[in-house]
Amino acid sequence: MPKLIKNGGIIDNAFIWQQDPEQKVTPNSIIAAQKWLSEKDTIGCVAGIWLDAGDGIEFLQDVDLTQFDVIGVNFPAFTDGRGFSYARLLRERLNYQGEIRALGHFIPDQLGYLLRVGFNSFQFNEEVDLEKALALHKPFSIAYQGDVSDPRPIFLRR
Amino acid sequence: MYQYDAIDQQLVDERVAQFRDQTRRYLNKELSEQEFLPLRLQNGLYVQRYAPMLRIAIPYGMLSSTQLRKLADISCRYDRSYGHFSTRQNLQLNWPKLEDVPDILAELAQVEMHAVQTSGNCIRNTTTDQYAGVIADEIVDPRPYCELIRQWSTFHPEFAFLPRKFKIAVNATESADRAATQVHDIGLHIKKNDAGEIGFKIIVGGGLGRTPMVGVTICEFMPRKDLLTYLDAIIRVYNQQGRRDNKYKARIKILVKALGIEEFRNRVDAEWAHLKGKESTVPMSEFDRLTSFFSEPAYAALENKPEILSSKLADSAGFARWYERNTFEHKKPGYRIVTLTLKKAGQAPGDATSDQMQKAADLSDKFSFGELRVSHEQNLVLADVRQEQLVELWEAAKEAGFATPTLGLLTDMICCPGGDFCSLANAKSIPIAEQIQETFNDLDYLFDLGNIDLNISGCMNACGHHHVGNIGILGVDKKGEEFYQISIGGASGHDASIGKILGPSFAQEEISTVIQKLMNVYVENRSEDERFIDTYRRVGITPFKEAAYAKAN
Ligand code: HEM
Ligand code: SF4
Repeated sequence: MPKLIKNGGIIDNAFIWQQDPEQKVTPNSIIAAQKWLSEKDTIGCVAGIWLDAGDGIEFLQDVDLTQFDVIGVNFPAFTDGRGFSYARLLRERLNYQGEIRALGHFIPDQLGYLLRVGFNSFQFNEEVDLEKALALHKPFSIAYQGDVSDPRPIFLRR
Repeated sequence: MYQYDAIDQQLVDERVAQFRDQTRRYLNKELSEQEFLPLRLQNGLYVQRYAPMLRIAIPYGMLSSTQLRKLADISCRYDRSYGHFSTRQNLQLNWPKLEDVPDILAELAQVEMHAVQTSGNCIRNTTTDQYAGVIADEIVDPRPYCELIRQWSTFHPEFAFLPRKFKIAVNATESADRAATQVHDIGLHIKKNDAGEIGFKIIVGGGLGRTPMVGVTICEFMPRKDLLTYLDAIIRVYNQQGRRDNKYKARIKILVKALGIEEFRNRVDAEWAHLKGKESTVPMSEFDRLTSFFSEPAYAALENKPEILSSKLADSAGFARWYERNTFEHKKPGYRIVTLTLKKAGQAPGDATSDQMQKAADLSDKFSFGELRVSHEQNLVLADVRQEQLVELWEAAKEAGFATPTLGLLTDMICCPGGDFCSLANAKSIPIAEQIQETFNDLDYLFDLGNIDLNISGCMNACGHHHVGNIGILGVDKKGEEFYQISIGGASGHDASIGKILGPSFAQEEISTVIQKLMNVYVENRSEDERFIDTYRRVGITPFKEAAYAKAN
């Protein structure tokens, strides 16, 4: 079973990130949020949904997010920073407490930033050495800005 | 000057370790070229024409003599004994080895310096007025606010991968805008309202490059406590909605233009509604803390125009000229602000040798409380010089090549590195600067022409700010040959405007002749004391155009 990094450890990945809309949906699927929204009455139970860059989070405002074990965020390129805000807004604005998983093209060197905006799991491309990636987990022991784990900026903490 | 505490120091040290590891992995081929690119860019490392170029941050242009000595030492040991001070108040090294960069950064960290976010698609070094804190008509000293922005923007977890680079500049004087705030992604003007509260007029969507634009006001007065939450809102909207499909259309100016300022403001306000009043609201204690770093040095009680100054002004035309051009009124009697110019003929504008850096550091120790500033016009500033010491300083500055008395004049050019160093260039720019310096070497004539901004860029990325030069020179490529397009009427101050292109481009050897012709039109048409830019605004482009393209008879 493919592995992923979650909550600072390497674990088995129990869910299937479904990118192909034609693929059969199972209770383990993480399916595209837009698809889920339009077909939710017929689609049955899923593990979670994933957001694509450009989706925003506004359309989830009235959705009960507690029904999902996981919300994925797809990075079409690791230089596309839109997903950073999605995680943060899921946590801070929609108060989502479950797993937020980074998907797609992001790199281990971004882990520090990703953690601070609320991601807690990371499904890397196969060629990434997860042990090595884990070592890059926390490049900085301190930060100037507040983040999702501690919203207080440095001036409230100095 | 701001001084690191344990937290600031720890962050910079950890950044050095992180970059050392990234460089090691890149050299070991564990990181691909493509992955390393944005990582090194966020640390100021470009790959250039001949070598990597390292851009070292000088936050809001402030340097201690210790820091400048370190820069001198680094450029001597790791580079070719010179560096280039840029329009964004940074220092660029053109010849470092990639393998050495982690060591350079470690040495910088010893003097509270770094290269964090000096390039890449993130929030860059914030710039401000080089005379901050020492001019009389300032609303408040902008530097504590710049430091607040520096900390907020450093490793901001949400905004490290924006659609494009992002530049913020701060101004705090009504009489001048020396930081070109209106051509920045965000320009901040510090204001005091009727109740005496400090806040910001916020200008958004300015920028140069391919589509030059002057920014528009998004907010007339934002109380200072709300600055960071509002900046978060603006940049979040930009990060989400800015174009990512085309890097030439990715700057915030394009988004603001496409939506219109009303709609853009509505979107920012909608975002801000969630952030306003939250944790990032800045408490008064933080303003007090930051302000305490920029308190006045130990000024002596002095009289204006001491005898030694007055008599030298009367005796020495050379000194008088330097005094008039290169020094500026100080808020304290008996003091003067002095600019050490980096515009000596034969030296690329903004370049300083290691030896010069060393000398400038010495001068600042001797004459200006051991502090200096870097200016947008690529010069160095000693902000607190006793008037009684000006003569002595002048002699020393002359010796070091800092006393070219041409500040603000035609030959005090802004000039990008151009084709000599930059792989993006369409044409060289340093030889153009040289040509103009050689042609316009008559000081009386230059003085007579008065204040003129002449800016040169080697390509349309506009690093030399050619669009906002009263005269702008842009290198263009015509079938593999280098040509130069000239524009006039640009300005970067409170009256910011984008210059208009005169017409077809010129060959390299024609440039100074054309500038000469433009000057003749100005001299013929000006009314008394009228600046070049004002004459242009009054008479329009036509006479300049006719003269520039007139066939010799
Ligand atoms: C030597 C290597 C350099 C490279 C490769 C480089 C690259 C670029 C590029 C690609 C742009 C266009 C960005 C855009 O339109 O979005 C740009 C703009 C700019 N660069 Fe540079 N640059 C270099 C040196 C400099 C230097 C020496 C300075 C200062 C003297 C500088 C300051 C600026 C400024 C002020 C802009 C315009 C900002 C704006 O669009 O508002 N750059 N540079
Ligand atoms: S304007 Fe062009 S040539 Fe000059 S430094 Fe910028 S990118 Fe290079």
